[in-house]
Amino acid sequence: MKTFEEKWTAWLDGQLSGKELAEFESSLPDLAAAEAEKRDAQKLGSFLKQQLGAQILSNAEFFSHQLHERIARDTQDRHRPTSTWWTIPRLVWSGATALALFLITTVVLMTQHQPGEQSEYLTQILNSRVDPAANPNAAVYIFESKNDNKVTVLWTEGLQSLPADYAAK
Amino acid sequence: MQTETTPAQADVSELDLVRQCQAGQTEAFDQLVTRYRTRVFAMIYNMVHNEQDAWDLAQESFIKAWKSIGRFRGKSSFYTWIYRIVMNVTIDWLRKRQIKAGGAEFDDAIQLKEIDPASKTVPRADPLPHQRMEQHEIRARINHAISQLSPEHRAVILMKEIEEMQYHEIAQSLGCSIGTVMSRLFYARKKLQNSLRDVYENV
Repeated sequence: MKTFEEKWTAWLDGQLSGKELAEFESSLPDLAAAEAEKRDAQKLGSFLKQQLGAQILSNAEFFSHQLHERIARDTQDRHRPTSTWWTIPRLVWSGATALALFLITTVVLMTQHQPGEQSEYLTQILNSRVDPAANPNAAVYIFESKNDNKVTVLWTEGLQSLPADYAAK
Repeated sequence: MQTETTPAQADVSELDLVRQCQAGQTEAFDQLVTRYRTRVFAMIYNMVHNEQDAWDLAQESFIKAWKSIGRFRGKSSFYTWIYRIVMNVTIDWLRKRQIKAGGAEFDDAIQLKEIDPASKTVPRADPLPHQRMEQHEIRARINHAISQLSPEHRAVILMKEIEEMQYHEIAQSLGCSIGTVMSRLFYARKKLQNSLRDVYENV
């Protein structure tokens, strides 16, 4: 559905024909006034064409020359290799190398770490088994002092005797 | 549409030139520029009313055309395509300038309300005697009247009346519907009739 403005413009530019033209013209309250308006708009069009159509580009060759220079400069810039040090592959390789170094260092440090006497002792206690039938209320606690270096406290409760295998090592 | 070509250049079809441009041949683009530079410049000049600005905007338009010519698929004519770039560049520039200037130059919202679509246009001022009207005065009046239009209204009236483009070509160039083009044309004409009737009635 065309609006009035669209129909008017089409009518003014001679784009309406047949039934559409007849319908539009019959819908106008004053066809003679509309025709005068049409002539007026056409006069405006001719006037604008006459006054504005003659605009020329002075120094047209210089215009093209300047444009050519800009395009050449732009093309040169685009083809110049970019030499940023941190390219993506370099970044990936650097990351992988850093990770590998970290892992190697960690493994070396872990293998070099000798478990002390204390660790062996604790392992022994934890591995020892208390017979629940003989010692129904038995409990064994181990505390490791954070303040005093290398001090471990073994707290036993409800034991009639220490397990036979205790302190075998 | 008239173009600025030599007979030798006219032998080469526009599509061939575009294909050569897409292959990176700047000489082919030079030929396209030669064909359209005057019309593009005139179109922009009629919208911005300043020679230096029109020159710069025309340069910018052609640079953008060169950079994006790889995306031209030939679905529309080359001049419709380049006009779309020209219009985008020019309308953007006008909008930015309007914002910088505080937005007082044109205001469709206000002006459209003042126009009764069925009204008869009347002279805005007493007509000046033809003998006393100098060419630059006429031009100044036209420029002033056009500067009161929004960039979109300027574009449609210039493309229709000066470039004699069809509605669908204008619609393609502006990226809007044919109905929008016709509607804008209606209001642009009404406004210019109101502003310039005393001038064109006496020339």
